[in-house]
Amino acid sequence: MTRKHYVATAATFVVLGLALTGCTAAEPAATADADSATTSTELDAATITVYTSEPQEKIDAIVAAYNEEQPNVTVEVFRAGTGDLTARIEAERTTGDVQADILLAADAPTFEGYAADDLLLAYTPADVESLNQDVVDPEGFYTGTRIIPTVIAYNTTAIDTPPTSWQDLTDSEYAGKITMPNPDVSGAAAFNAAVWMNTDELGEEWLEDLAANEPVIADSNGPVSQAVAAGTQPVGIVVDYLVRELQAAGSPIDVSYPSEGVPYVSQPVGIFASTDEEAASESFVDFLVSEAGQTLAVEQSYLPVRNDVGTPDGAPAMDDITILTPDLDLIAETKAAAVARFNELFQ
Amino acid sequence: MSSTPTARSAGPVVIDRARAPRPTARRRADGVDAVRIALWVVVAAVVLLPLGAIVWLAASDNHLPLLLGGDIAEAGLNSLVSAVSSAVGAVVVGTVLALLLDRSDLRGRRVLRLLALTPLLVPPFVGAIAWIGIAGPTGSVNALWAQWFGAPLWNIYGGDGVIFLLTVHSYPVAYIIVSAALRRIPSDLEQAARISGASAVRAVMTITVPLLRPAILSAFTLVAVGNLADFGIPSIIGLPERYVTLSTLIYRYIQSGTVESPLEVISTIGVVLLIVAAAAMVIDMLVSRSRWELDGSASADHILPLGVARLPLTVVAWVGVLAITLLPLFALLTQSLLPAPGVPLAWENLTLDNIVRATTMPATVTGAVNSVVLSVLAGVICGIVGLAIGTLVTRTDARSNTALRTVAMLPQAIPGLVIAVGWLIIAPRIGLFNTPWLILCAYVMAFVAIVVQAVSAPLRSTPMTAEEAARISGASRLRALFDISWRMALPAAISGATLVVLTAVRELTISVLLLAPGAQTLGVSIFSLQQAGAYNAASALSLIITLVGLAGLGLAARRAR
Repeated sequence: MTRKHYVATAATFVVLGLALTGCTAAEPAATADADSATTSTELDAATITVYTSEPQEKIDAIVAAYNEEQPNVTVEVFRAGTGDLTARIEAERTTGDVQADILLAADAPTFEGYAADDLLLAYTPADVESLNQDVVDPEGFYTGTRIIPTVIAYNTTAIDTPPTSWQDLTDSEYAGKITMPNPDVSGAAAFNAAVWMNTDELGEEWLEDLAANEPVIADSNGPVSQAVAAGTQPVGIVVDYLVRELQAAGSPIDVSYPSEGVPYVSQPVGIFASTDEEAASESFVDFLVSEAGQTLAVEQSYLPVRNDVGTPDGAPAMDDITILTPDLDLIAETKAAAVARFNELFQ
Repeated sequence: MSSTPTARSAGPVVIDRARAPRPTARRRADGVDAVRIALWVVVAAVVLLPLGAIVWLAASDNHLPLLLGGDIAEAGLNSLVSAVSSAVGAVVVGTVLALLLDRSDLRGRRVLRLLALTPLLVPPFVGAIAWIGIAGPTGSVNALWAQWFGAPLWNIYGGDGVIFLLTVHSYPVAYIIVSAALRRIPSDLEQAARISGASAVRAVMTITVPLLRPAILSAFTLVAVGNLADFGIPSIIGLPERYVTLSTLIYRYIQSGTVESPLEVISTIGVVLLIVAAAAMVIDMLVSRSRWELDGSASADHILPLGVARLPLTVVAWVGVLAITLLPLFALLTQSLLPAPGVPLAWENLTLDNIVRATTMPATVTGAVNSVVLSVLAGVICGIVGLAIGTLVTRTDARSNTALRTVAMLPQAIPGLVIAVGWLIIAPRIGLFNTPWLILCAYVMAFVAIVVQAVSAPLRSTPMTAEEAARISGASRLRALFDISWRMALPAAISGATLVVLTAVRELTISVLLLAPGAQTLGVSIFSLQQAGAYNAASALSLIITLVGLAGLGLAARRAR
């Protein structure tokens, strides 16, 4: 360890710095046409914190597009799985105020719970009448931002006859070949567990049969889609947009919409009542469901919550899919029990 | 933390007789006492406070029954087994390498030594990501094997993979410690044995290896404690097979609140780990006390001729080291250049998209900037505090010196995980909750020992005459300390601080637990990408970090020649 070593280290940092920042200019931020229906005025400088389970790249693109409209608002993002976010919010509630202004994650029942605890601010976004009314909270505490169905994905090189229904997955032919996300981590997985439990033709019996096939429980949807694409586990229960993305990138993966119907979550957005930046938070919510925000959602392979922005390449039209629309209050009530039962069976 | 090299001297302890404590008359307090008090305040704040918080919280309620419950007991057993077996593996590999590279006539020793040390430059979790590409269920080796023989060769996921990777990432530390001790063993003894008719191998096994025992034991404790709480490897390699260790269990508790009052349970686990670490430290101290002094060697170093075994051993050593160093790089490269999983490896499929995307993501840039800023700040603070503590405890006489040194060195034996938990507990009370400064505090606590260690060795070995001359010429004690001792130790402090920066910049265990909005480090960025299933992007970032580390090593090696 000498002075020379020190110089070498300094050089290393220069290289590292160049490697990491040298090509930031090459980022073509996916931006939609900024002619949104609401001609918003530019807000003053403000900083808002968003807790989200969106994939990092997607939320970064959303923030970049939002900043095109509102350049003075700094958006700090904290990204984690829904389970981790709810744990963090819980911890922050017990020690003081929630540190975030906005939550963009999970499913309606999660938000119903927070609304019941008076944690959320009632806000109905501008342009609400253009949205799919199924995802808008009538009380105005949260608004869905995309339709995310959970489907069956399969590896096209390893599977010749893909499963076409949830019931098919209990067939012994798929024993040891299935992978699915962990409801403790993934909000969509927790929601799905409750929907399956409350769907007459599936229910607990179907879950038990599925568990008999010993699926691999991955942490979240991302690793599930990767395992299916790589062929590690050729069949997966996963959100549909990940499959479309991998397919577009060239992976041997395809999607099958189960005949009984698909559960979907809407990745709602809500504003925490403890926010100090009400105007900036509201403008962020407006942007998410605006025409510009939804055009970006479609570019990111999500099914949109408006019908004037088209659908992603390779996605079926909304009318062609059987959707499971359970009673959300029932789901909210039974979710914890369903997840507990799921964990007993699968872990 | 598991891959932190520390310049722990494993040789005989030299007692400087010129520094035997002299009876001092009572004197007035002066500047040196003020510095000493200031340093005590600093170490109390950054070391004793978080540790106290852990112990206090653990004692606030009896969670011992919980520890004996299924989850924690199983995780504890896994941690213990993986730490001990990987430490044994690392020490065996490290000792064999030290004998081969430093004492034998193996071909290409110098280059091989550099190659063998490369795992030090690769953060353990990056190694884990790379090895999945080699020996994961659809990794390159397994894919080939399945093509030829119909079944994969070895799946790295699970306990065996965790032990293997911990070994790979900790044998360089063992090698450094053992090789330092080996240099202090005169070859005259071996020569004597050879003259009396022992074979070369027998001379090494009966003379040299027994003399290395203290160094081997201290390498073992250091590596075992480091591996006991490594987070990256068990979470990336162990969890997919439900192989849970204490570190991954603690992470899950903190992140998902799956238990009631998680912090209390975690601090109880922390106290248990603390006890283990303290025991390891005590064992290490006892061992180093019982070291014998050897006279320096009068003759030149004697090289052990391998004879008939030279060629096969050369081949085996080269193949082994190349496999461990180049295969992961190759795997990272292919993962980074392929657009998506399941795409066959062919020229027309290769693309730079992942590398460009991964390096331009705002989250990555934020993480990189945070990591550089935090690690440089930690390096500067540790450098100053470590230098002050190091000079004070070696160049002045005070009853509290040993205590001060022990407190400063203590965190080195504490798993990074426990350090993070300590800061997590006190964060809301000191107003640092959800800020990057919390990570900085934890870094300072964890790494200040590196600098204290670095400056102590050269200071111990220089006599006090220069300071005495300064005092005779009328300098105050403080002035002598500033002008002489500090100046002497400055180069060592700078290299220690550099080591702190290098360690902190790729750190994962501490920062993943102290994660907060806007406070994510580079290690966490890569880990999050991996967790979210963006394997190609995670590999691309890992590749860049690895190459930058290797480039740094190359530069350092070139300059050192």
